[in-house]
Amino acid sequence: MSDQNDPRLEQPGASDETLLSAHEHQLAPKGDDGGHYRMLPLALLFIFSGLIFYGATYLHHYSGHFHADVFNETASPAGATAAAPKIDPIVLGKRSYEQVCATCHQATGLGVEGVYPPLAASEWVTGSTDRVIRIVVHGLKGPITVEGKQYGAAAMPAFGKVPGGGYNWNEDRIAAVLSYIRQAWGNTASAITPEQVAAILQQEGPRKEWTEPELLKIP
Amino acid sequence: MSAMTSASTEVSEIDSSARGPISLLLAFALVWLVVSGALALLHFAQTLNPAFLADCAWLTYGRLRGLQETAFVYGWAGNAGVAIAVWLLGRLGGAALRSLNWLTVGALFWNLGVLLGLIGIARGDGSSTPFLRVPEYVQLLLLVAYAAMAIPGILAWTGRGRAQTFAAQWYAVAALFLFPWFFAAAQIVLVHFPVRGVVQAIGAVWYAQSLWNLWLASLALAAAYYLVPKLTGRVLPGYDFAAYGFWTLILVGGWIGGRHLVGGPVPAWVATIGIVSCQVLVFHYLIVAINLRGAFTGRGSTALSLVAYGVTAYLLGGLVDAVVSLRAIAVTTQFTWVTQAQTALALYGAFSLIAFGVIYFLVPRIANQPWPSAPLVRAHYAAALLGTGGLVLGLAVAGVIQGRGLLEAGLSFADIAARTRPWILVAAAGQAVLLAGNLVFLFHFARLLVKKPAVTAAELLRQPPTMEASVS
Amino acid sequence: MRNGFLFFIGLFCAAALSWAGVVLWPHLQMGSLVPYVDETEGKAYPLRLSGIAAQGQMVYDDLGCAACHTQQVRRPGFGSDKERGWGDRQTVARDYIYETHVQLGDSRLGPDLANVGGRKTPYDAEDLYKLLYAGSGAMPAYKFLFEQRSIADRQPSDYALALRGNLAPAPGTEVVPTMRARALVTYLLSLNHTFEYPEARPVEPTAENEGEAK
Repeated sequence: MSDQNDPRLEQPGASDETLLSAHEHQLAPKGDDGGHYRMLPLALLFIFSGLIFYGATYLHHYSGHFHADVFNETASPAGATAAAPKIDPIVLGKRSYEQVCATCHQATGLGVEGVYPPLAASEWVTGSTDRVIRIVVHGLKGPITVEGKQYGAAAMPAFGKVPGGGYNWNEDRIAAVLSYIRQAWGNTASAITPEQVAAILQQEGPRKEWTEPELLKIP
Repeated sequence: MSAMTSASTEVSEIDSSARGPISLLLAFALVWLVVSGALALLHFAQTLNPAFLADCAWLTYGRLRGLQETAFVYGWAGNAGVAIAVWLLGRLGGAALRSLNWLTVGALFWNLGVLLGLIGIARGDGSSTPFLRVPEYVQLLLLVAYAAMAIPGILAWTGRGRAQTFAAQWYAVAALFLFPWFFAAAQIVLVHFPVRGVVQAIGAVWYAQSLWNLWLASLALAAAYYLVPKLTGRVLPGYDFAAYGFWTLILVGGWIGGRHLVGGPVPAWVATIGIVSCQVLVFHYLIVAINLRGAFTGRGSTALSLVAYGVTAYLLGGLVDAVVSLRAIAVTTQFTWVTQAQTALALYGAFSLIAFGVIYFLVPRIANQPWPSAPLVRAHYAAALLGTGGLVLGLAVAGVIQGRGLLEAGLSFADIAARTRPWILVAAAGQAVLLAGNLVFLFHFARLLVKKPAVTAAELLRQPPTMEASVS
Repeated sequence: MRNGFLFFIGLFCAAALSWAGVVLWPHLQMGSLVPYVDETEGKAYPLRLSGIAAQGQMVYDDLGCAACHTQQVRRPGFGSDKERGWGDRQTVARDYIYETHVQLGDSRLGPDLANVGGRKTPYDAEDLYKLLYAGSGAMPAYKFLFEQRSIADRQPSDYALALRGNLAPAPGTEVVPTMRARALVTYLLSLNHTFEYPEARPVEPTAENEGEAK
């Protein structure tokens, strides 16, 4: 039982009292140690500084400037907070057309005889940009002649941001839908930019639906 | 003269007065350890065969994981850690522990809380937040019970005999004092007034990390810082720097949780700050390694050897953390068994092995009798080392295989499971060995409690030698 | 460390500091994140969970599904998340603002579920019910989420599973998902984080950030 290594009873190597006092002594301020440098504090200081330097560099490189919108550590906040990516106007236009316009003008762009005019191969669609933008922004009322046929049973509502109703679409979406109808179903007219739409809105301000004679005065 | 001898003899009133409460805590701890081991084994069985017990709603794979983790952390580690810390603070404070009734009452309610928590998780009242899975209705009970248990420890610290303090006391007090704060803070931001969206996930990793670094690791280090000089009889080398190591852990420990969220839906800086803190914490591991290197010059002492393996696991865990947290490596190891291997290395390797060592040391002193059987100690020792090794190795290799498999987009989950299967078997075998060893430990402890000692420890323990202050 | 009071203050401050830095700061940054209003679609993303889906999230939570499934997609190029078809973009904080209990998960023994309702080859409810009822090689069956009952004296349920082969229930009985199973499946099908938030776009590699990210 007096065996030092008996696992049943671990013999102490020191009393608690002297354990505490010996370690206390270790912390007590040392006298002059004869100008000898101790290697350990220097080495630890060196390692600690190294770790802090490495950590700070790493943090600087991969913190994304501590920005809440940066999820990729190699990105910078400028890229992440820029405006949303522009969706292809033709894709957006097609989606908008199918959601709303196709109800009357049909997915084929052929309209309904005598009621809803066609858009495919329509001179109004592929012709003057100033006219077609106005139609979509403010709407159209009364009879209209397309490719020699008369239509006019229904009015077209305003899609732009005009007071008193309409769809209140923004310029991007109107331009997208216009570009889409001018290039779908075999149409080959130019695309329309949001700036063109904005210019018309600015020029005309809020107003009622257009009529055919009013539109024909516009080049 | 009599006062002098009682202070310098190895067993004193400090130990005998604490016999009841500390034995109670350790008994609870060992029961939970065995329960958690059994649950962990069932969990492995389900990993290997998903159909196993699948019809039992109380033991789904997810709930079993929560059950075994809760039984381990709050049951085993909580009880054992508090017992060790309070006993240490009493011994180093140099006076018999006061207010021990608080410890007893607190322990009863704490264990009631753990039991209710496990039933709650099994019934489906718990949550999936790692390490905070117990249902809401148990959390407050655990918090109050813990505060009661910590009182004798804190009183032993404030009423200590000498002004100067020792490293073991710092770690023990920090663990006892800090746990209620972050436990309560986590409950507030995750349960009572939940924060929005992914901030919850950030709060959860902060809690899990604090639980390890500021509580369990601190408890283990308290034990190691005491046991190593106590058993070797030598002053800790480089002890002047122990305080820097301590404050590095306390200051940086709570920051490193974010590394688990690499690539996740949290701002990049959250993960980056976690990674950086993980690297800076290497300084703490370095100082612990310098201070505790005496553990590796063991003279065949079982307790010291367990502590040495525990410290090795602790240091290894810290270095592995620092490496695995880097994004280039985390991309493979994230979401795999590697994470579980790291948890096992910390909880089973570092915490449990050190706790085993100190329990072998302290129980003969509080019970005033040696352990009944040396072969049982050796059997548990061997099982603990072999089991922990198998568990960690199996999980780690399985994790690397799983991580590589996940990177191959064409590989199905069934194929990945088939590839990792042999190593999961190794881990499961390790867990089984651990469970067997811990059953032996529980049995041995029970035998010690009921056995009438033929001879007291006080008679067998030699007069402790004087520790000489070293000249550095 | 002679001064006990200062010692406690130091401990407390250290813990409070990490709490402030790790929890409070992100909370201040992201706690009031608002949904992103997409003008062209006229909707605000993310969409809110329906009531039954919110119940399903509680089922997901208490069954511990997060033990095997994550709900977070890492960015293309960081892991194989995109190649496995789990999502074309990384999930970002805004995706989760309506979740009462965020389930990011930390283990992938099974596939990521962040976009399980928006996959290119979509699952429908029937597939998910069958998976939950029968399990698969790597996933346990959750039979307790289903009820097998006689149809002798009642109308067959609309929700009854169409099971064939050796899974088919005994004649005269049907297998019906319980309320919990229906909530869970509704929740899973509502998981769809495919909307392109500006902050979720991949970063174009530039000369500056091309170096190996550590």
